Amino acid sequence: MMNRGYYALIMVLAVPAFVWMVPTVWMLSLSFQPNDVLARTTSTTALGLIPIPFTLDNFTALFAFGSTPMWFLNSIIVALGMTFGVLAVSSTAGYALARLHFPFKKTVIAVCLLGLMIPEQAVFIPLYTMFADLGWHNSYHALILPRMAVPVGVFLMMQFFKGISDDIEEAARLEGVGWLQIYWYVMLPLARPAMMTLAILTFLYAWNDYLWPLVSAQKPEYFTITLGLASIQSNFAQSEGLGRVMASGVIASLPVVGLFLIFQRYVVRAMSVGGSKG
Amino acid sequence: MQHAQKPTMKRLTQRQAAAVLLAPFLVIYAVFLIYPFFRGIWISLHDWNLLAVAFNPDAKEFIGLKNYNRVMWGKNITWSLFHNPLWQTGASCCAALAIWAGATHRITKTMAALIAIVAAGVVVAMGFYPEEGGRWYDRRFWPTVGNTILFVGITVPAVTGIALVLAAALNRETRAMAVLRTLFFLSNVLSVTVVTLIWQIMFSPRQGLIANVTDLLGGSPIIWLTDTQFAMAAIVITTVWWSIGIAMMLFLAGMQDISTDLYEAGALDNATGLKAFWYITLPNLKRTITLVVVLQIILHFQVFGQVHLMTNGGPNDTTQVLVRYIYQTAFRDSELGRAAAMAVFLFVIMGGFSALQFLLGREEAA
Repeated sequence: MMNRGYYALIMVLAVPAFVWMVPTVWMLSLSFQPNDVLARTTSTTALGLIPIPFTLDNFTALFAFGSTPMWFLNSIIVALGMTFGVLAVSSTAGYALARLHFPFKKTVIAVCLLGLMIPEQAVFIPLYTMFADLGWHNSYHALILPRMAVPVGVFLMMQFFKGISDDIEEAARLEGVGWLQIYWYVMLPLARPAMMTLAILTFLYAWNDYLWPLVSAQKPEYFTITLGLASIQSNFAQSEGLGRVMASGVIASLPVVGLFLIFQRYVVRAMSVGGSKG
Repeated sequence: MQHAQKPTMKRLTQRQAAAVLLAPFLVIYAVFLIYPFFRGIWISLHDWNLLAVAFNPDAKEFIGLKNYNRVMWGKNITWSLFHNPLWQTGASCCAALAIWAGATHRITKTMAALIAIVAAGVVVAMGFYPEEGGRWYDRRFWPTVGNTILFVGITVPAVTGIALVLAAALNRETRAMAVLRTLFFLSNVLSVTVVTLIWQIMFSPRQGLIANVTDLLGGSPIIWLTDTQFAMAAIVITTVWWSIGIAMMLFLAGMQDISTDLYEAGALDNATGLKAFWYITLPNLKRTITLVVVLQIILHFQVFGQVHLMTNGGPNDTTQVLVRYIYQTAFRDSELGRAAAMAVFLFVIMGGFSALQFLLGREEAA
């Protein structure tokens, strides 16, 4: 396998891979260049792909003033809140649908399946009016709750729980352990890989979601970083300076890129599961 | 505390336990997905101004299907098989070709049905036009749908093709290949606003990297985002760059399932490299390809952020897409009723493809 053809293939593939990386590298490089230089030209060294002249000012400025740290914190709160919420409701419902017997189970599953067909874009207007009537806009729960209603996590957990053998559960039943305890002490620990996939799927979605925060959060205090970044990019050249906007972009990408580099396998699996729903 | 709780919990029957475990999800599901869905249909049957209703809940008026009429129909609209001969004959040929290819097992039956249905839709849709003195009530709706379909029609084949080639080339378990896969996948995890931030400045005629390169080569820079000829291309390029990774990974997963015996047998018949790709990989990957295509159609039909942030639907509405039009109608024009009607239209199309995706999944499992 390790023949000349293989190395030739690597060399050939390195070219598109490099091209694919250029935009990201460029953002990174611009974020480390002084704003006054960027105002004149963006291609100082090697078309701007190498950050010379180099400065950290853009990042220090971001944390000294501006809204980026607040938006970042909002994103963390929303993403973690949504992740815990989705894990809680999906794992309980998934367990019940996979392992317990009760009347109308098939109906419940069918109703949940239908929910998979409803895209976010088809419900954001009625959701907007509902939350407006309740006076819930500009809050964390407004950003979190609608996503918890998406049934993809329930199906992920249901599939996983279906695959667990009956022996453990039966043994626990004979000992007189209740269903809720079985869920909590037996099933959840076993479900760690599936929970991990679902957690990453949800976190990525929450972090990158744009349409619902755009509709629901009108006050900058409740912007997520994704939304905040959108609000500053229309006028980046004038007010903020290109370098600083790019630095915001880098900061906004750090958690998801970090997550991806550490848990690559889970991220790929999560995004495959999520497909269109992710 | 725990001791006091345990005996009561043990008394839960299986049914009660199921109710307790299901309740949190079902309540949230009913309140934040099912109810809004029906409420959306209800709103679409009203003349509903966002601001007026916010001040006075009775300011809405039930008007039946009038919103659908106002969005999708017009005055003196007729239909003819020959109104748009080029498109209608072309689409008819496509449908016939797909049915033939499906019947001879060159592509999966689902894929054939998919193409045939879409092509038939084109034949029918392209036949409608306003007669003399007639006009569409909403001049922007159908062009917007057309732009969305155009975007999907270019992006999906491009992503599928490039991802397929990359996956075939990267389908080896070595370190270098893993690194290359990571590089291609990385852009996929970025948020839409980071992606548009990067590409807006990439395409900038004054500061953009692309302009810098054309400068270096002595050409004059293209004004990508405000040129009617290039704006859609810019959106497509951005989207392809952003979303190739997941398609590639799905293809790689599909390729893992192809037995190596096939390739070894093929090698005996001199089928290596491109030949092996054409005669072994592609035929065995038909299902995965269909699935990826359907997933991509669903995903890209919802395009919003790229357009909203990079071109604002312009220039001249050439990049206006359906979700952005819904958003604008609802929140800029405050016409919730009409926007809700368009959202129902979106749901019908997306729901169709989702059902198809579900059927495909079943087929795969069977």
